[in-house]
Amino acid sequence: MMIDELSFAFSLVVSGLSIGLMYSLIALGFVLVYKATDAINFAQGEFVMLAGFVAAGVAAVEGMPILAAIIAAVAVMVLFSFALERVVLRPLLGRPIVAVIMATIGLGAILRGLPPLTVGGQTQSLSLPIGDEPFVIGPAVLPPIQVVGVIVSLLFLGAFTWFFLKSRMGVAMRAVADNQQVAMAMGINVQRYFALAWAMAGIVSALGGVIWGSMLGVDTHLALVGLKVFPVVILGGLDSIVGAVIGGLIVGVVESIAAGYLDPFVGGGTKDFAPYVLMIVMLMFKPYGLFGQRRIERV
Amino acid sequence: MSASHKCWLYAASVAAAVGIGAGAAAAQQKELVFGLHCDRTGATQTVGTFLCPGYHDYIALLNSKGGIEGYKVRVIEIDNEYKVPPAMEAHERFKMEGAVLTGLYGTPQTAALAKKLDEDKVLGTSPGFGTAAAADGQRYPYVFPIAASYWSQGTAGVAFAKERLGGSLKGKKIAFLFYDNPAGKEPLPILEDLAKSEGFELRTFAVPAPGVEMGAQVLDITARYRPDFVIAHLFGRAPSVAVKELKGKGYPLSKLVSFVWGASEADVKAAGGFGAAEGYNVMQFAGVGTDYQVIKDINAMYKAQGKPEPKEQEISVYYNRGVMVAALHAEAVRNAIKTKGGAMPTGEEVRKGMEAITNFTLGGLVPPMKITPQDHEGGGWVQIWTVKGGKFAKAGDWKQPYRDVIKKHLDMEAKK
Amino acid sequence: MFHREAGVFKTTYAADMALYPLPIARWAVAGVALLFAVVLPSLLHEYYLSIINLVLIAIVGALGLNILVGYTGQISVGHAAFMSVGAYTAANLAVRLDLPFWITLPAGGLMAALIGAIVGIPSLRIKGLYLAIATLAGQLIIEWTINHVPAISGGAQASIEVPRPTLFGTELKTQGQLYFFLLFFAALAIVATLNLVRSRIGRAFVAIRDQDIAAEIIGINIYRYKLLSFAISSFYAGVCGVLYTYYLGIANYEQFQIVVSIDYLAMIIIGGLGSVLGSILGAIFVTMLPIVIRWIVEGFGSYFFTASELAGVSSSARLIVFGSLIIFFLVVEPEGLNRLWRNIRNYFRVWPFSY
Repeated sequence: MMIDELSFAFSLVVSGLSIGLMYSLIALGFVLVYKATDAINFAQGEFVMLAGFVAAGVAAVEGMPILAAIIAAVAVMVLFSFALERVVLRPLLGRPIVAVIMATIGLGAILRGLPPLTVGGQTQSLSLPIGDEPFVIGPAVLPPIQVVGVIVSLLFLGAFTWFFLKSRMGVAMRAVADNQQVAMAMGINVQRYFALAWAMAGIVSALGGVIWGSMLGVDTHLALVGLKVFPVVILGGLDSIVGAVIGGLIVGVVESIAAGYLDPFVGGGTKDFAPYVLMIVMLMFKPYGLFGQRRIERV
Repeated sequence: MSASHKCWLYAASVAAAVGIGAGAAAAQQKELVFGLHCDRTGATQTVGTFLCPGYHDYIALLNSKGGIEGYKVRVIEIDNEYKVPPAMEAHERFKMEGAVLTGLYGTPQTAALAKKLDEDKVLGTSPGFGTAAAADGQRYPYVFPIAASYWSQGTAGVAFAKERLGGSLKGKKIAFLFYDNPAGKEPLPILEDLAKSEGFELRTFAVPAPGVEMGAQVLDITARYRPDFVIAHLFGRAPSVAVKELKGKGYPLSKLVSFVWGASEADVKAAGGFGAAEGYNVMQFAGVGTDYQVIKDINAMYKAQGKPEPKEQEISVYYNRGVMVAALHAEAVRNAIKTKGGAMPTGEEVRKGMEAITNFTLGGLVPPMKITPQDHEGGGWVQIWTVKGGKFAKAGDWKQPYRDVIKKHLDMEAKK
Repeated sequence: MFHREAGVFKTTYAADMALYPLPIARWAVAGVALLFAVVLPSLLHEYYLSIINLVLIAIVGALGLNILVGYTGQISVGHAAFMSVGAYTAANLAVRLDLPFWITLPAGGLMAALIGAIVGIPSLRIKGLYLAIATLAGQLIIEWTINHVPAISGGAQASIEVPRPTLFGTELKTQGQLYFFLLFFAALAIVATLNLVRSRIGRAFVAIRDQDIAAEIIGINIYRYKLLSFAISSFYAGVCGVLYTYYLGIANYEQFQIVVSIDYLAMIIIGGLGSVLGSILGAIFVTMLPIVIRWIVEGFGSYFFTASELAGVSSSARLIVFGSLIIFFLVVEPEGLNRLWRNIRNYFRVWPFSY
């Protein structure tokens, strides 16, 4: 019995960690944009949904390899992000934060209104050719799609960490994020780096859309995963790539533990609510998250 | 032609125009208005975008055949985005347009409009949602669930488990996986009651909104509780996630039965397709598939107009439910017109017409319900369908188990 | 509101702060009051009154949110939850203790103010996005609590039926009767807000919004005023929730979900941040938008679509227009409808001799 209980706890943690990294995958796009441009994307879920629709649409064409669908999703998302940055967000530079939040909420409404008019309301299926043989780690089993999600998240983590620490462009982008005027004075083309940041977020959203879309099926429900972003980014720190990953892991495990050990006692779903409680506590004691950059401003 | 002639012609044409207008007005008197609440853009849009077209198509078919007893039907549909205030606006609009009945949409909207329907004496139907207590026609005279409530679905789930587990539930374990909102919690008292009388152990597992992930709950079910049967009552994307997770953790789908809102082709598709979901059992309150005369008639009507079959039939589960609601609406109004000898019925008379519906099955698409002034649920009929060989197949006939339990709970509600 | 002055002749501060800068303004307001109190209810069909009723309720909520967002510069994505706090407080008092609306309504408001102030506590340390997400957490936690505590929600259904308000022994149940009920509170809310924003408190709010550090230096206790702003704003939200409850005859937490918070934010953005008239125009605009779009699609669309397609088109069109308008106003006219109105007025002020 004791062994059972232990292996159950182990499975809970493993499943929490893997789903946590799936959340990170969505949160990364959010963090990238915030880090470089200080803009906040409340439509991250809709971005993921759009990518899912594009990928499913291309994959539905007879004889089209899945790679083409992924490439199409990436291409569309990059273009879309560019356009968004130019048309909507650039005019909003320097305006209060609520303006950007509402603009992206408005964008979300548009994106949710489009699919029923264009491709219809039905659920599109999108499946990656990975089979459905579960992946076994000791007593825990993981669906293969989550394993793919974990790998992609970790790859992004590695790539972006390298990019920001070592590459010239990455350092420039950090400079832009740190202080736009000084960066400009140093001869950095700020606008180009803004666009680059959005393009990178587009790539992340595209892969998030493909992976979450093949897990959930593609329709407007897919946008709901966007709600998962907020506790993740607040816990990890809004402008930290590592934070997005660690935050995702924490949220995933907390959700898992809450559902496994707390729900039986309160008779309700504490899963969605536990990360937010944790987040509030974090906001009170360490408002800039575990890895966030502290902006000192005392009132 | 002289000026006076011109003038005369002009006057004649005006007169003709007025005459046509008057004719149109006269024709309009032979028109019935049905109000339909829908949600095509809110939280439940994946249901509404299929259900409501089914409703419209049936009415169009009816109109193409001359309408109801000579009356044409005009449907006004209003999208309430699953919000309550727009539903109130919609109700007032229907009232102004002289709607003889309305089709409600959504549990909170039904709760908010119940009183209004009563005051305005216009009936509203709430198939598969709203409160189970509304089956009591004495307490809610103008609300008609006209389909199995969540309570009846609960009893159907237990009866199905009993059947599958060899006729007895003594000492068995059943898991109830539910969406953590009022609608999700509604069947709990019924299930607890049945657990006592049938002697099975019941444990509940809540899935909070939006339910896109439930690894931990399913793990709890499969690794710790290890039930003999799982009854799932989920909404939105959650049903397909549950199917995927349970299957991934090695739980046999043949021991899983879902309530009516996790029962569509879309859920199966999102769960990995009909091949992957083989064995998954679902409850239905209307028939599934396109193999019904009325669906064929609808397609024939569109074909005659040179149009393709409605693409919404792809999700026949919801589409057919829309057809069923429309058909029951039409039947109620037909009853009312007949008793009135062909005159335009009032809302109250339509209510009586609805309460007179018995054995109206539309070729098997609609259960053999009997709506009475006491029982607005029409008997709480449920049919279980199973995913088998790439499609939904019937796993039994229409059933209404444990009516005594439902009756007992309705009486308890009424005393409150 | 509708007058044109010929110049600025103010010689005292009192004159500068007056609600009615000219006698004609007083007449204009009286005219508007007459229009709403007598002319509209006697001319309009009940259906149109029902739309106005929804607008009146929305005005109360939008004014409250604008005090917080527009005047104080804080943000809340959880206002719908404060409405549900007011709604359930009033519903429980009305059903369990059988109290009349003139007690339950302020009680609901006060309870919402209390909860709002608690949710607003993080605003003392954080701002902007962090605050937005903290209030989002507040929304989810309040929803969860109502859903899971039967003592508040009145049972598993989480909805409480509330008797209609009675006034002088008459039960207010038709749209016409409820219209006067709601009109009274909406008018009260407008007048209260107009007075609040020109008081010491209102000016302190604006000072915090414009430059919080400077505000503190000139002696405004920022913590106190931020919490006060959350409390006042939530009081309005609570009252708005109570009005919904009495109007619909039911308190149900599912009608106060996060989409509603977003609708109210859209109202004040489209209407104009930091403006009373803007809140009113925004409430009208957002409430009427789906209805008007439907009228238009119904009017012209029947030539192109079947009834079923029509409904789908009008729904999707509404979402797209709604989103586009939010973006349009943010990008092109950040001060919203209020600014458009002022532009029109300024144009006619010098008309026909503009240059």
